Amino acid sequence: MNQELLNSQHVEQGVSLSQDAFRRLRKNKLAMAGLLLLVCLVLIAILTPWIAPYSYDGQDLSLGATSPSQQHWLGTDALGRDQLTRVMYGSRVSLTVGFIATAVALLIGVLWGATAGFLGGRTDAIMMRLVDVLYAVPFTIFIILLTVIFGSSILLLFLAIGAVEWLTMARLVRGQVLTIKRQEFVEAAVSMGLSPWQIISRHLIPNVLGPIIVYTTLTIPSVILLESFLSFLGLGIQPPQSSWGSLISSGVETMEEYPWLLVFPALTLSLTLFSLNFLGDGLRDALDPRAAKD
Amino acid sequence: MLSVKNLRVVFNTRNGTNVAVDDLSFEINPGEVLGIVGESGSGKSVACYSLLGLIPSPPGKIERGSAEFLGEDLLRMSETELRKIRGLKISMIFQDPMTSLNPYMRIIDQLIESVLEHQKLSKAEARERAIRALEEVGIRDAETRIYDYPHQFSGGMRQRVMIAIALITQPQLLIADEPTTALDVTVQAQILALIKKLQKTHNLAVIFITHDLGVASQMADKIIVMEKGKLVEQGTTEQIFTQPSQPYTKKLLSAVLTTSKPTSSLAEKTEPPFFQVKRLRTYFPKFSGTFIKRLVSTHKAVDDISLTINRGEILGVVGESGSGKSTLGRSIMRLVDAQSGEVLLEGRDLLKLSDSDLKKSRHNFQMIFQDPYASLNPRMTVFDTLAEPLLVHKLATKNNVVEQVNQLMDDVGLERRFIRKYPHEFSGGQRQRIAIARAIALKPKLIIADEPVSALDVTIRAQILKLLLELTQKHQLTMLFISHDMSVVRYLCDRVLVMQNGKLIEEGATESIFAAPGQIYTQQLLAAIPKI
Repeated sequence: MNQELLNSQHVEQGVSLSQDAFRRLRKNKLAMAGLLLLVCLVLIAILTPWIAPYSYDGQDLSLGATSPSQQHWLGTDALGRDQLTRVMYGSRVSLTVGFIATAVALLIGVLWGATAGFLGGRTDAIMMRLVDVLYAVPFTIFIILLTVIFGSSILLLFLAIGAVEWLTMARLVRGQVLTIKRQEFVEAAVSMGLSPWQIISRHLIPNVLGPIIVYTTLTIPSVILLESFLSFLGLGIQPPQSSWGSLISSGVETMEEYPWLLVFPALTLSLTLFSLNFLGDGLRDALDPRAAKD
Repeated sequence: MLSVKNLRVVFNTRNGTNVAVDDLSFEINPGEVLGIVGESGSGKSVACYSLLGLIPSPPGKIERGSAEFLGEDLLRMSETELRKIRGLKISMIFQDPMTSLNPYMRIIDQLIESVLEHQKLSKAEARERAIRALEEVGIRDAETRIYDYPHQFSGGMRQRVMIAIALITQPQLLIADEPTTALDVTVQAQILALIKKLQKTHNLAVIFITHDLGVASQMADKIIVMEKGKLVEQGTTEQIFTQPSQPYTKKLLSAVLTTSKPTSSLAEKTEPPFFQVKRLRTYFPKFSGTFIKRLVSTHKAVDDISLTINRGEILGVVGESGSGKSTLGRSIMRLVDAQSGEVLLEGRDLLKLSDSDLKKSRHNFQMIFQDPYASLNPRMTVFDTLAEPLLVHKLATKNNVVEQVNQLMDDVGLERRFIRKYPHEFSGGQRQRIAIARAIALKPKLIIADEPVSALDVTIRAQILKLLLELTQKHQLTMLFISHDMSVVRYLCDRVLVMQNGKLIEEGATESIFAAPGQIYTQQLLAAIPKI
């Protein structure tokens, strides 16, 4: 009786896919561990200005590069700056860039690809040719041009990365939508009188979530590394500010003398990557009712 | 010749052990045809595949049993030994001739592949053999056609090629797994006759797996009936059909539709007619070239079709695949664009509606699709699927939508507690019930049913047809029922329309068409119904 009551309440709320998915995600230990780790990283990034042991540009030239010690857990760099502090400050930049630029790419790419794929015909041709044209623009020149015109700012960084990453996403989603829209349940939706937008948002996108999520978890780390390349070109953050990407690239230069300068930022990035992948896999399974084990 | 004893096959899955075949015993002698009958999931295919070591293992596992073939136990053989049996002494024909041939290989190479593998023959001898094999299965111009690729053959012809491949090594036992299920009815009749003829001339033993008792009765000398992996009943074909002893066998037999429509509907003629199609044409132009498109040819899928349906009437549209009957339905639904013509529902032309008017009036005409596995969104629960049309057309509010959905579940005979489940948790028949519920949710004036039962097992088919009949009477539905199966049409429809190559060739009341078909093509369709 009790159970029945519970069930009927569930029905009245109209359990949505996302609620269902979250229930399933909670059962996936690996994915939850990934989520927990990501939340910790984000919290640390937010709280850095208050909890960081040193200031990010505080130099101690007399110290020079030292290996990890009691005072400097992750050692110091050649200018005597505390590496832990720099990794913490770096996470602010890297995580923001990673998440926001990917979110921008996701939003534009998914909508663009799904619309092109669903409408098909001439609209599709025009929309996808535009993507091809943008693909053909040399990325480096595009960035240098942006820097020359607008100078260097973090906002521009999001824009630049978003502008390239959504192209692949759009192609991926379009391809998936093309195969799914031939299925009868989409025709059924058309014959029920749903508008194109309702069909895209309710019937098409939920069914392409799997590849989208996997690609997203791959995009975030690549965006984080891309940031260091852009910073090198003068767009984005400038020294003495730090990011994981810039810490890694400067760490590579001195990897034989001071390996800890490479190891710790790289380790943090890898941990983030692992968490994202586990979470992504978990999300993909959780969002697919067919993969449910219960 | 082959004697299977106490066979038990299990599949170890994440959700525990699934017994596919349990304690199955049967035997077959040279020159005998054994029919294995059962619904999908009854283990009839798994049983035969496991004999040849063709089940995926793991998860599949043969737990017990023996299978003596010419004095040797197939189940104890090594893979190398089995390979000498497969294709040489025991051959197989599969269900789908479209996928069981390699599209990149010429017919001749596929024909002589197993001959060269098993027997010492020169290429020229093998070619001779291939030509003879093709001639034997009734393919004309075999000498030139052996150099063709599979896509140059029609479905029926491909199944003939498959049979030629199976028989070219002169096996002693042929396992045919639903060899005609994917084929049109008239083609099915030809293929069955061919297998029967070859079986006689070669004195072959045949294991014929089918879900269709009608087909089994034509082919088999003796029949075993399987349900859920277990043998239910066995006997000679005559025994099974005249004195079935088990309730399950009786249920299968009663599912074979031999009756005409139980009650005639209360169709009333009105002026103007309730639903009318006038001179409808749907052409598919074929273009070549990527940039400069050149019209190559026009495929006339629906060519000048006119029809009327009265209120409360069920009109059957019959024809083989490619006859344009599905395109007719989809043109009326405006899922494809028609070239010219009128589609009048209560005097209003559906083809002239603007996009926004069309969206608003779509609730007046709904469609039931063929494949219940593809027609439901896998990521939406039953509740969401059924609530969506109601909410979009504002026929329900957030408050009473649950009640309405429950009502629909009752209507189609599904339990209310299933409302939160996803489509993959249902069987094919249950899914088709959901699809039907979705179609009637909007209380449409016209329903177009495109082969709604042809993807279903025979017993399920009978249940769904009964449901459709009940619903049409309860809700006063008017239906256009598209099918290739004359027995289904006879059970459900008041009038029938026969289509061939996009054209209407015959029309009339169901019983009069059955009694006196006017066209040769209609006669062929009727003759193709398996008789018991």
